[in-house]
Amino acid sequence: MSHTDDIESLADEEVMHLVRDGNPRAFELLYDRHGGAGFSLAYRMVGDRVTAEDISQEAFLSIWRSRHRYQADRGSVRTWVLGIVHHRAIDALRRNLVHDRRRSSAEGIEERHEAPERERTDVEAARREEAAHVRSALGELPDEQCRVIELAYFGGFSHSQIAEMLEMPIGTVKGRMRLGLDKLRKGLKEKVG
Amino acid sequence: MSVERHQMHEEDVGAYLLRALSDVEHRRFEAHLEECPVCQDEVSRLRPAVNALPRSVYPMAPPSALKASLMAEVERDVRGREEAAGISHRPGASARVRRRLGGAFGSLRPTVAWVSASVVLLIGVVSGAAGLYALTDATGGEESSRSVVAQVDKTRVPFGSGSLLVPAGSREGTVLRVHGMPELESDSVYQVWVRRDGEVISQSLFHVGENGDGAAAVTEDLRDVDAVMVTRESAGGAKAPSEKPVLYVKL
Repeated sequence: MSHTDDIESLADEEVMHLVRDGNPRAFELLYDRHGGAGFSLAYRMVGDRVTAEDISQEAFLSIWRSRHRYQADRGSVRTWVLGIVHHRAIDALRRNLVHDRRRSSAEGIEERHEAPERERTDVEAARREEAAHVRSALGELPDEQCRVIELAYFGGFSHSQIAEMLEMPIGTVKGRMRLGLDKLRKGLKEKVG
Repeated sequence: MSVERHQMHEEDVGAYLLRALSDVEHRRFEAHLEECPVCQDEVSRLRPAVNALPRSVYPMAPPSALKASLMAEVERDVRGREEAAGISHRPGASARVRRRLGGAFGSLRPTVAWVSASVVLLIGVVSGAAGLYALTDATGGEESSRSVVAQVDKTRVPFGSGSLLVPAGSREGTVLRVHGMPELESDSVYQVWVRRDGEVISQSLFHVGENGDGAAAVTEDLRDVDAVMVTRESAGGAKAPSEKPVLYVKL
């Protein structure tokens, strides 16, 4: 086994121990594992490669600089990383004109399809499978619930903006968000069996 | 906490988790959350659904320039920190660590972590059939604890992961930690087993929280144990595994 494998075979939580010690190689490995997912999420949200790159860079630098804040008992490293990318993307959407540009675009917040990368590893194949699994659960939600969840989570719109766009009361939007998440939770659970 | 105040906020849970509240509403809800166990439960219950959303995005490869630019920034940070702390390169301890970790750390600059390498490094993992190896700490040459990654049956627990901390010498029990495991119905439980010389021995039962995280004791002396496994069993546990393991740690 090569020395490189020594660190590469560590679980995320162990890699985070090294990152917390200020180890840049461990951080690089963390990026190798989750940078793609972070970039993909940012791109899905803002629909622009350059902005998605900026968001990813900001998010990962923030992860490096706030590495002591990671708490293993509050969720996986992947969830923590993607949560930070999501927050950064929302901030970007809300502070600049991306929203306006996208609102007037026919593309809306629909998924942006890129030619998929060649599946080079089992991990990548598993990630695609995982994506298909969650999308299938999302697909089972009633359209009106799925719509408000996607507008909020991927579109970065506030409940009042969504209410205005869909011409419905704020209470209805909030209710659909809650019901949709509950149904999604159950759907994911059922699929896992 | 008043019932009225709870009713005022209970519909906000979904919007809060999706970050769809305004900044003011977000802060108000968080203040309410601190004192409302009902909303705390609801947030915990729904959070796994929100955590799953980014996983629905098909992965794309980021541009390689992004990593180069990010790592350059990180290296600058490290250099700046070292300069501020007046740390210079001390080859002794860190050189030993570098030899052990080799190329993976070849480009590392000496950090506080390396200089204080007498702290035992919790490193050393094996996955699958790659074989087990142990690293030693940088000063004493004693075997350190290591964490072994579990193999997971992705058809039954697609988001699951787990790792077992194996104490130095393996003479004592330890803890198996799991993440992303599905919550079981109340009539079922996860059961941990060890296998030694072909004999499978029950260790403990555990449940996972709403977020799929959990931990379980492995009480057996791990010497001569060749695997630690997790199965799903009826409440109260089983005398022998009733299914193939959903998690499997090969030792």
